[in-house]
Amino acid sequence: MTHHDRNTVLPPDYDLAPEYSEVEGRDGKTYLQFATQMTTFYKQTYGEHSRFFLALREGRLIGAKCPKCGNVAVPANTWHCPICNFAEMQEVELPHRGVLAQTAPITIFPSSSFIGDAPFARGYVDVATDAPIAGFLPSRLRTTTGLVRPGIFVKGIELKCVFEDATVGCIRDIFWVPMSEVPAQLRNKQPLRASELDFASPTPPAMAVTPAGKDRLLQALEAMRQLMTKVEKSPRAQKDLQGQDAVVGVHTSGGDFGLRVANSRLHVLDALPAKVDFTIVAGDPGIFTRWVHDGSLTDAAVEGSLWLPHKEAFRLLPVLDRLPRSTRRDLHSS
Amino acid sequence: MRKVGIVGAGITDCRGRWVEATFWDLFQQATRRACQDAKITTDEIDSVIYGIYNDIFEHQAIPESSLTGIIGMANKPGTRVTTGGATGFYAMRMAVMEIASGMSDVVLCIGGEKATDCYDPRSKTATPMVVDTIAKSWDPFYEYPLGATASDSYMQICLAYNDEYPNDIGVPEVRAKIIEMLCHAGNRNPHAQRRLETVTAEQVMASRWIIAPLLRLLEACMYTEGAGALIFACEEKAKEISKRTGVRPIWIKGVGAANESYQPGRGGNYKRLPRIDSDRIAAERAYAAAGVKPADIGIVELHDAFVAQLMVTMAEMGFVPAGQSRRLVDDGIMVDVKSLRDDQRPPKGQVLVNPSGGLIFGGHFVGGSNMFSTWSCRREMLARQIPLGLIHGTGAINACYGGAIVLELGE
Repeated sequence: MTHHDRNTVLPPDYDLAPEYSEVEGRDGKTYLQFATQMTTFYKQTYGEHSRFFLALREGRLIGAKCPKCGNVAVPANTWHCPICNFAEMQEVELPHRGVLAQTAPITIFPSSSFIGDAPFARGYVDVATDAPIAGFLPSRLRTTTGLVRPGIFVKGIELKCVFEDATVGCIRDIFWVPMSEVPAQLRNKQPLRASELDFASPTPPAMAVTPAGKDRLLQALEAMRQLMTKVEKSPRAQKDLQGQDAVVGVHTSGGDFGLRVANSRLHVLDALPAKVDFTIVAGDPGIFTRWVHDGSLTDAAVEGSLWLPHKEAFRLLPVLDRLPRSTRRDLHSS
Repeated sequence: MRKVGIVGAGITDCRGRWVEATFWDLFQQATRRACQDAKITTDEIDSVIYGIYNDIFEHQAIPESSLTGIIGMANKPGTRVTTGGATGFYAMRMAVMEIASGMSDVVLCIGGEKATDCYDPRSKTATPMVVDTIAKSWDPFYEYPLGATASDSYMQICLAYNDEYPNDIGVPEVRAKIIEMLCHAGNRNPHAQRRLETVTAEQVMASRWIIAPLLRLLEACMYTEGAGALIFACEEKAKEISKRTGVRPIWIKGVGAANESYQPGRGGNYKRLPRIDSDRIAAERAYAAAGVKPADIGIVELHDAFVAQLMVTMAEMGFVPAGQSRRLVDDGIMVDVKSLRDDQRPPKGQVLVNPSGGLIFGGHFVGGSNMFSTWSCRREMLARQIPLGLIHGTGAINACYGGAIVLELGE
């Protein structure tokens, strides 16, 4: 994570209270543990990489080209070709378009430094596509069509390089979006800035209502109403919902409905509410039936069968996913 | 080069966390057990090779220095090896070299990790900090700032393989079936972290996604704390110790290693994305050194960080053609350990894969995981009279480090 929006390298809550606490071993004996850390601060030189990052600051993308074999180091991370007995390489200007070298993984469970950023996609971009030999650029991948999901960043798609409005000299100064999402008049713009694209208000995918979808929605609504009633009686489920407040519109192939989470309760609304915080889209309403029967809305979003507009929507899903289990535990024990 | 044998092995229990021991005691436990197994004292050991992957896990920049005295290695040469997930493999390679070269006659090769003392203050759990500690194996300029993790790095390769060879590792039923077999294996390993678990193929396919569509929760390796030790000896010493213990030596028949470039790309010396060439080259070199072919191997203990990667690695090592790794299950090439008696060899045409339960069910104490594999391979070769076995290690970004060792059952 970068610290563009912070005054310190470490986030303020990235710390522990000093503690020497007892912990019980498997042998029943008492052991002691202490809270500590291994933080190192750096003012780390970019050294020979500086030219690449200085170029990023200026809205340019550069590589290092070997005059002998034509190898283009992307990014420009070395200036002597390892293939040609370390022949001196020359700076070349790279295009702001490229091709995704492989289908990209989407990270759901990030490391502690990236908590709050998930889900996000990373991938290798082939930028020097005309070169006979070339390195791939490790890249951040973003879409304007809602939360990232499988099926967008697949091998071979054409990508456009986008620069953050404010660049500092960091690999996160840039990211790549599918060229097909970039308006025609912006496709050749260099540098294209993030604020020239609209990431904030993605259009939900259109959903045609089918008779089969209608049947499945009726089943889903029935299942969700039962869950709603159980939440009324389940302290665990109410605790899961504590502090959550959202009105969600849901489009499905069986028609629309709404979910409201407020005052530690879940409400299933038969019709689309007039005002929603955000809208989600599921081709198959059966996703919601499976959710009630210990399936997972998070998994549906991760697979791409549930469309979400943004990360805030994604953060509600683990809360909802806990409800079936919590209600079962409470209603079993009582 | 002198002939080298393995004459003793000892591992600790594999646990998600040891509050009862630091890595000091874990390494001592493993040393003690290996010495008992070989019926030797530490006086007979000439030198030690340590496998410890990550200083941040141990919270000490020269972690092996604090072990020297307490594992009985005072005033002997000691070398630490650290090569990511392949640390154990490279430590064993170093131990073999020490003896093959004539510098030592008996070497203790010991590896382990204390991984889950890490703690993330925001989620109030260990895992995100463990993931972050591993992510610090990536460079600070390009990869780490993008949020690289071990699982998405390995999945980058598996997704690229899946692009190249659809309908192979992408078939969920095949991966789930392999998990089921690995679970059976873990159930019979007394030290396995998940020895009491029962996981069915159905449960695998219903478990939560980590990275769609190739990695569900039940398809991933664990974070383990533990240590494993092996005693390597020159031919003369190995025969002498073998007489003492009444246990046949296991000879090192061939060692192969290869590390691919850090950076992927097209042509030149860049890493080829869809494949794990390091595994292929390492295995080919080990086979060539041993004068054997994959069909001669009866047992493989391989580094299964993730089951999709296990499938790719089995293809790279020549047990199935690239793109047809599902034949491990479809053609029954991978034998279910449950179908064999404890003293039975796998039938011809079949291979025993990770009878320890592997890193997914057995344990994955990174610096010593490959010693854990060797411990298991030796145990099974002795019990089942399997003439030839194969050990595999992989590690670092995009699985770019690879190593393989062919083992031979001695007389």
